[in-house]
Amino acid sequence: MSTRELFTFRNSYFSVAVGLAAGLFVLTAVAGFVVLPRLQPELKYADLWDAFCSAAGLPRRSVSSGEIPKSAHRSSEAVLTSMTLAHPSQESIGRGATLAQRCAICHGPTGISRADSPNLAGQYAAVIYKELLDFRSGARTNAVMSPFAANLSDREITDVAAYYSYLPRLPAFHPVEQHPKPRVVIYGAPMRGIAPCGSCHGSLDNKTGSPWLEGQSEAYLKAQLQAFASGQRTNDISQQMRNVARGLTPQEIDEAAAYYASQPPEIIKATD
Amino acid sequence: MLVNRKLILAHFWFAFAVFGLALCLGAWQMFVRSPLYTWISNPEWYYRSLTAHGTVMGYVFPTLVAMGFGYAITESALQQRLVGVRWAWAGFWLIVIGAIMAMVPVALGRASVLYTFYPPLIGSPFYYIGVVLVVVGSWIWVALMSVNLRVWRRAHPGEPVPLAMFANVAGSYLWAWTAVGAALELLLQIIPVALGLKTTIDAGLARVFFSWTLHAIVYFWLIPSYIAYYVIVPRAIGGRLYSDTMARLAFILFLVVAMPIGIHHTFADPEVGAGFKFIHSAFTALVAVPTLLTVFTICASVEIAARLRGGRGALGWIRALPWQNPIMLAVAFSFVMLGFGGAGGLINMSYQLDTTIHNTQWITGHFHLIFGGAIVIMYFAIAYDLWPHLTGRALPNLALVRTQLWLWFIGMIVTTFPWHWVGILGMPRRMAYYDYSNPAIAPEALSVSLSAVGALILLASGLLFLFILIRSHAQGATEAGAYRFSMPVHPVRSVPLALNSFAIWVALMIGLTVTNYGYPILTLATRHDTSVPAVYVGAH
Amino acid sequence: MTVQDDSHAAAVAERTEKRWATISVIVIVALVLLATFAGLHQATMPQGRVETIDPTRLHLAGEFVESNLGTATEPDGSVTVRAIGQQYSFTPACILVPAQTPIMLRATSADVIHGILIQGTNVNTMLVPGYVSEQFMRFEKTGEHLMPCQEFCSFGHEGMWGKVKVIDKAEFAARAKNGGRLSCVGE
Repeated sequence: MSTRELFTFRNSYFSVAVGLAAGLFVLTAVAGFVVLPRLQPELKYADLWDAFCSAAGLPRRSVSSGEIPKSAHRSSEAVLTSMTLAHPSQESIGRGATLAQRCAICHGPTGISRADSPNLAGQYAAVIYKELLDFRSGARTNAVMSPFAANLSDREITDVAAYYSYLPRLPAFHPVEQHPKPRVVIYGAPMRGIAPCGSCHGSLDNKTGSPWLEGQSEAYLKAQLQAFASGQRTNDISQQMRNVARGLTPQEIDEAAAYYASQPPEIIKATD
Repeated sequence: MLVNRKLILAHFWFAFAVFGLALCLGAWQMFVRSPLYTWISNPEWYYRSLTAHGTVMGYVFPTLVAMGFGYAITESALQQRLVGVRWAWAGFWLIVIGAIMAMVPVALGRASVLYTFYPPLIGSPFYYIGVVLVVVGSWIWVALMSVNLRVWRRAHPGEPVPLAMFANVAGSYLWAWTAVGAALELLLQIIPVALGLKTTIDAGLARVFFSWTLHAIVYFWLIPSYIAYYVIVPRAIGGRLYSDTMARLAFILFLVVAMPIGIHHTFADPEVGAGFKFIHSAFTALVAVPTLLTVFTICASVEIAARLRGGRGALGWIRALPWQNPIMLAVAFSFVMLGFGGAGGLINMSYQLDTTIHNTQWITGHFHLIFGGAIVIMYFAIAYDLWPHLTGRALPNLALVRTQLWLWFIGMIVTTFPWHWVGILGMPRRMAYYDYSNPAIAPEALSVSLSAVGALILLASGLLFLFILIRSHAQGATEAGAYRFSMPVHPVRSVPLALNSFAIWVALMIGLTVTNYGYPILTLATRHDTSVPAVYVGAH
Repeated sequence: MTVQDDSHAAAVAERTEKRWATISVIVIVALVLLATFAGLHQATMPQGRVETIDPTRLHLAGEFVESNLGTATEPDGSVTVRAIGQQYSFTPACILVPAQTPIMLRATSADVIHGILIQGTNVNTMLVPGYVSEQFMRFEKTGEHLMPCQEFCSFGHEGMWGKVKVIDKAEFAARAKNGGRLSCVGE
């Protein structure tokens, strides 16, 4: 009984409330969908319908207009997500083990280098995958690596990455005396746009495609930071590493490289 | 008639215990990001603490206070035993389990995603499932409020529902519906990704869902305080409630308009059309109305009390108020903070003004002033008012109670006023570290230090509050009498059916949700090309 | 303490009631009028369109490829800034713009939610992955502004600060003559 008594326009509470709500909705909808778009000529709507749909928020695929300047260098074409090589198969790892024999001269039979090349044992798979893709495409160049990568197939790249990420993280071959943590590594330098290294490179969190650095060769780390800073190395997607390296002072580059070279790999977080 | 005292005390004690812990975290955060401290050397600790503070203060603490107070109201306003006591305990334990389940991964650093979730960032599934359990526990309470009201109605056909219960049920319905937004976000979007069943998520849609919850949740926090304004304050200071009808209208307005306005939280977002932002902006203005009604009704009620006590003159009556009474003190402080906070809120709701302060420290200052200040100080008042009735023991020392309230008020002002100011200077929020040595942000250093001092005052006050409650359990037994609510100036004999039931208002709330949220949600939910890869946070 | 329901109390209440009711109605009406006026008078609105984009492929093709990021002078003479936010930097990290010129900012995120806030201005927008954000800007005076990320974007959020450098209109025109995309990175 009460429902019928309530939901009728004879009930002044009902009629006033519904009237006010509907009235306000219609009023604001007309203002928001019709009047206000017309007051903004800079938005260049094609017609009333276009303006109406836009105000309603009908999503449209972004289309780029205008000419896009040619890049002076080749950029990375790798597409990385948190799922990239997240769960490699045993077969893939096995095939990678065979392929990796070619890499052992520089990167060491256990994935620990004795030649200032990166240690690959236990490196994130997405990192090795991306760098090999970039060496192959020419986004990153290196006298030794570029010819090696040139003939690798997509599957071979995946397999090598899966194999090395599967290897245990061994203590680095460059143990030196323990350094105190340099300021730039733990604080970053916010006002220069530098986040703490560990927020991408593993000790705090891993940004997909960023390697962990503990125990890597000091000379190698320093050379890469300098190459990013000077713009010689450009395969970091959308400048994510150049933005950081450019802001580092030469002294900070030295400190960060020396620090990471001296660290054991135990503090790195897993991604899976 | 308070029968299930243990149930009510359990809710309040768990609420205040987690409040105390989260308060410590909050004070620590204020301190470590201020110039008074050098650097914690690990930003993740800060975000971890921030996640715990927000989750506890936003989801667990106010929900338990609303529930405990709701049970107290049910028994004392309806004068009947609570129906469904076992269910009530089940709801309580769900919340306890949910809170622990959510806090363990947070404490381990596996869910430092902040209490607002922020997908595509994804943390441990236990965190989200814990939050869902908290919400489910509170939904049991919603159902119980409805059932108990129905039982009472059957025994009292046609009689006006006591105002306290009317407001309480309105608050529970508001919560039931507003929690649906975050629940949809968690159940349909985030948890499947956190469990690894899906790998992509629509971050824009998630923000729309969350906005559904994010604004009205504030009103859910607020409703126990508003109930206290209406039904505790006039009685406690020896006056009368000025208007019962006005009070009902205020709660009905909260129920209807608090929720379909949430898109004003996404003014600066790219995934919602400008037209809907405008509609929500206009509806947001409406929500000021029930607050104004309340402020004036309560001021009038307070004035009535003062004049009954012999107060004279245009403003002379203020001196005649019982300032020794903690409830008087609490409501005065609450109104001052509500006034400043409300003024700030008017700025946030206007698109043009919002752009200067969106996501700056202003916003954090704003909701701490409203929630931590105006609302929580009334939670204290509710606890002080109810405690003798729950424990059968008097509060140990009213001077101590007054000191605690003064400290909270001063602490909140000292914390939030500089906080607003650095927001205007453009200081972004949610950062673990600020380099105050940089000349561009050096001017913010003094204000941030002041805020940190305020936070320490708040911490002292919060601990004093817990101390008073604990001490009261050790006091000698006393007969507190029946727990009653204030009487209106004009006795309520009959109330129009519309103001004595919720059908119209719940229907209107859902209807406005459909008009204001339907299209923005459907248009994103039916697209596949807006989902982006999840970014898993920390090791997990 | 309770109060006796005597006639004195009722009379007092009646008077108070009327006064407060009048004040409250005046304030509510004034507020509504104020809001209406502000809404109609300043027709500044949020961005006009909802545009979607794939954040994982921004660097491959489309307007957010690396070589197109920065400040462009369009054929019609208008100025557009294109930028992306990513964990934990903006590209370009330093945005160069002319003073006293209407500028369109187009930006998006490559990974998680970020925000662009240019201190000392009312430029403030969210970057949500999957969507393109658009905002008009105009800078009256030359100078530098900080541009922090204003939304939590994981553990390096506190290190995500960019810059905006506003230079003289003529100077900007001179630098823009050679075409390409301008920024103040490395200056």
